[in-house]
Amino acid sequence: METEVLIIGGGTTGTGIARDLALRGISCILIDQKDINAGASGANHGLLHSGARYIFKDAEAAVECHRENQLLKKLAPHCIEDTGGLFVAIEQDDDDYIAEFPRLCDQFGLPFRALSPDEAREKEPCLAENVKAAFEVADAVVDPFMLSLDNAAHAQAKGAAILRNVKLRGFEVHRGNIRSARVENMRTGESFSIEALEFVNAAGAWADGVAAMAGAHISMSYSKGSLLVTQSRINDRVINRLRPASDADILVPGGTVSIIGTTSIEIDNLDDIRPTPLEVDDIIREGADMVPQLASTRYIRAYAGVRPLVRTSGGDGRNISRNYTLKSHEADEIHNLVTITGGKLTTFRLMAEKASDIVAQRLKNTNPCLTATETLPPSAKGEWTEPGKAPRVWMKNPERRDTLICECEMVSEYMVDEIVNDLKAEGAVPTLEEVGRRSRIGKGPCQGTFCSFRLAAYLYRKGDLSDAQGMDQVRDFVNERWKGFMPLVRDKELMRVELQESFLCALFGMEEDLYGNE
Amino acid sequence: METNNIINCQVAVIGAGMAGMSAAIFAANRGLSTVCVGKASEISFSSGCLDLFSRIPGADRHAFLNPFTGIDALSEVQPDHPYSKVSREEIVQGFEEFTGFMNRSGIQYHCTPETNQQIITPAGTLKSTWCVPSAMIAGTRALAEKKRILIVDIRGLKGFGARQMAQNLKKAHPSMGSVTIGFPGRETAGDLMCERLTWDLETPDVLSRFIDEIRPHAKDYDAVGLPAILGIYRFEELKTKMEKALGKTVFEIPTLAPSVTGMRTKEAFLGQLSGISVRHFPVLVNNLEVDASGGKSSGFRFEVTEGISVKEVRTQALVLATGRFLGRGLGVDDTGRIKEALLNLPVAQTRDRSGWFQRDFFNKNGHPINRTGVETDGFFRPLGRDGAVFHPQLYAAGSLLAHQDWKREKSGSGISIATAYKAVSHVAESLGSD
Repeated sequence: METEVLIIGGGTTGTGIARDLALRGISCILIDQKDINAGASGANHGLLHSGARYIFKDAEAAVECHRENQLLKKLAPHCIEDTGGLFVAIEQDDDDYIAEFPRLCDQFGLPFRALSPDEAREKEPCLAENVKAAFEVADAVVDPFMLSLDNAAHAQAKGAAILRNVKLRGFEVHRGNIRSARVENMRTGESFSIEALEFVNAAGAWADGVAAMAGAHISMSYSKGSLLVTQSRINDRVINRLRPASDADILVPGGTVSIIGTTSIEIDNLDDIRPTPLEVDDIIREGADMVPQLASTRYIRAYAGVRPLVRTSGGDGRNISRNYTLKSHEADEIHNLVTITGGKLTTFRLMAEKASDIVAQRLKNTNPCLTATETLPPSAKGEWTEPGKAPRVWMKNPERRDTLICECEMVSEYMVDEIVNDLKAEGAVPTLEEVGRRSRIGKGPCQGTFCSFRLAAYLYRKGDLSDAQGMDQVRDFVNERWKGFMPLVRDKELMRVELQESFLCALFGMEEDLYGNE
Repeated sequence: METNNIINCQVAVIGAGMAGMSAAIFAANRGLSTVCVGKASEISFSSGCLDLFSRIPGADRHAFLNPFTGIDALSEVQPDHPYSKVSREEIVQGFEEFTGFMNRSGIQYHCTPETNQQIITPAGTLKSTWCVPSAMIAGTRALAEKKRILIVDIRGLKGFGARQMAQNLKKAHPSMGSVTIGFPGRETAGDLMCERLTWDLETPDVLSRFIDEIRPHAKDYDAVGLPAILGIYRFEELKTKMEKALGKTVFEIPTLAPSVTGMRTKEAFLGQLSGISVRHFPVLVNNLEVDASGGKSSGFRFEVTEGISVKEVRTQALVLATGRFLGRGLGVDDTGRIKEALLNLPVAQTRDRSGWFQRDFFNKNGHPINRTGVETDGFFRPLGRDGAVFHPQLYAAGSLLAHQDWKREKSGSGISIATAYKAVSHVAESLGSD
């Protein structure tokens, strides 16, 4: 296989680069060891920052966020819910810090409006009674899955290739130039090479490992952030706590739910990223100071993502810059590798532009970047990830009321058919995990207890699964949901777990395989 | 027994799942006046089989073919396990008495005394169990004899995939086949429920069209496996009709909840209760109190509602068969500790909630929280805070008990029946000697 540019990493940055390069007329292949947004791009708040979050510590990032926020609202409106946002301080918060906020916003040109505590509570009745200061800002909510899937789809329409489940195994480096990448298809086990002129490392938290394979060095640390999803939506706007960054400071609404987070825990291993019961307790306790009902509401899921932070000096996860890092690796004497990592969902387009600029320049391509002016065309790829869409479609089409695979989120057989056909058209093998990622299946209150199994039965019936592979996939699917549910189990949730184990273990004996065959 | 809305009885059983049903049957059979309170709701999740024992969770050894060999091995390593407190004779007698009762209610079980049997599950796994109901036994035999089995599923009935089962079992049973058919009169319906199909099949015309749908696919097979939808009361009759018409043996495969097999068990139990003069209240218990006078005849009182009236039940002995979290026998208190819901009995704890579960849902050691529960003496009398018996006539039976993991051991029915048997035998003995 050969191409002009090989991009490693299919998060928002990688897919953004694929689109940017494709629009400049540069051919590229994007590989991801798992799937689109399988890393941090798929495990964050889905917050389109106004920039106000960063004015105290990182004015440059704040200004970039503001600019990108305005651009994306114009160019990718279908991925965005323009909710607006609030910064609120409560009784115990520092008055000096509060007073700085409007001054800094003015200084850096971030629009805001001061609200009285009563006005704030009128807009967001969920706020604590002891709110003492509030400001309205331009925060919004973005669907990172739709964003990445649409970037990828547009890139493909312009000639790029997207290969999922393809993992980088090593580089052929000759005199400071990477000739090709050795890769492995993780589904089939097949190994092959991809030759390219330029290589882009957009592997997020895995970027140091990718760079190391080329003999280049990046010093990174990883900060785990956990978030909780409520069963119903409790706020209209993004709500930020106006205080120095700490746990559970941001409550983001999204479709039919709200998301509260995050924590920031330094970790040194990327193998098993999961939220813990202690983090959950901490998030609920801290979050409830700002929004009291967070203490009593029901949660359907917790999840954790890893912020890749490039180390410049010491400091904990929050003190290392949240801004992105762009390295051309000339100092490492590798001349055709660019690493772009860190940064924020909000500035993904800008990061993609900067990385693509270097690549284009090296390839002597002088076409301008188009992503700051050209609208992101909506594709059908992300349509079933939108919360609330499946039930709407199902209810509105009484003549098409086919069998519901997922009753919580009302995902029916024909929606699964569409996703499966799409996956196949992309050359992918439809698995429970992939159908799950492209739909709301498993994301409702049952968290996969019934639907994982029904989806497997349906895919078997259609001939898309054979032998025992479906059962392995159900186990993986259940465990993926378990990762997000286990830390939330406190009281009533125990009933659901008992029911689930009664089926999966007492009746089906799905744990029995672990004992091996006699 | 009842005057002025006060019911006096010798035994009150709280809970109407497998343990509660067993306890009520055993008490009535011993001539004790018995009240049973509870909704039997969890029974709707039952596969219809009676498990005894198959595996010691975590122990790296095979599943036990002989459940009693397994229980012996278990008792050696887990002296606190409920099975370590009952003898083989008590288990066998309990099962005989329970299945005898169900037999008179129309449900026959097939049991090989020294051997577990296998049934096909909707996941395409083989489940080990001890007593197989007659509606499923043909499948067990067809598996054992390596007969050619056709599994039939129904369009619109989700979570039951014939091809899934055949594909998963094809290594051991290569001749197994699968087919999907439309259900007569409901070919285009989106969502079918087992219970609905069950009622439909009671209509002879629907049954014969259902048979016609299957017939052309069945000709190269010896046995036909169906989702469990062959009637709640007349399943033997429907099965026999199908077998005659197809010329094949026919068997059922359990389905996901709410299952018809579970409903059958529940109906069979409830239908026979009046015959053994057990008063049953399908409600929750209110205001349960222990008579603290301490005398030998001191017992318990609680309230139940029946229609618009509130009745007070006064009983000498009380059997708690309230189940675990799903049955609400166990809960969590304000400090995050596991509590027993009705009398706040001491509960064998695990660590705080960080230690309740394994990271891997299917970890073969099982989840620590599943071994929490009520601690008892050898007659299944719960212990109080001081470690002594809480009350001489208070008993606990079934999954509420500590130191077992029925889901992983495949011991749910067995623990329920055996512990209820031992507890109620002791009630009979001690009340009889008054």
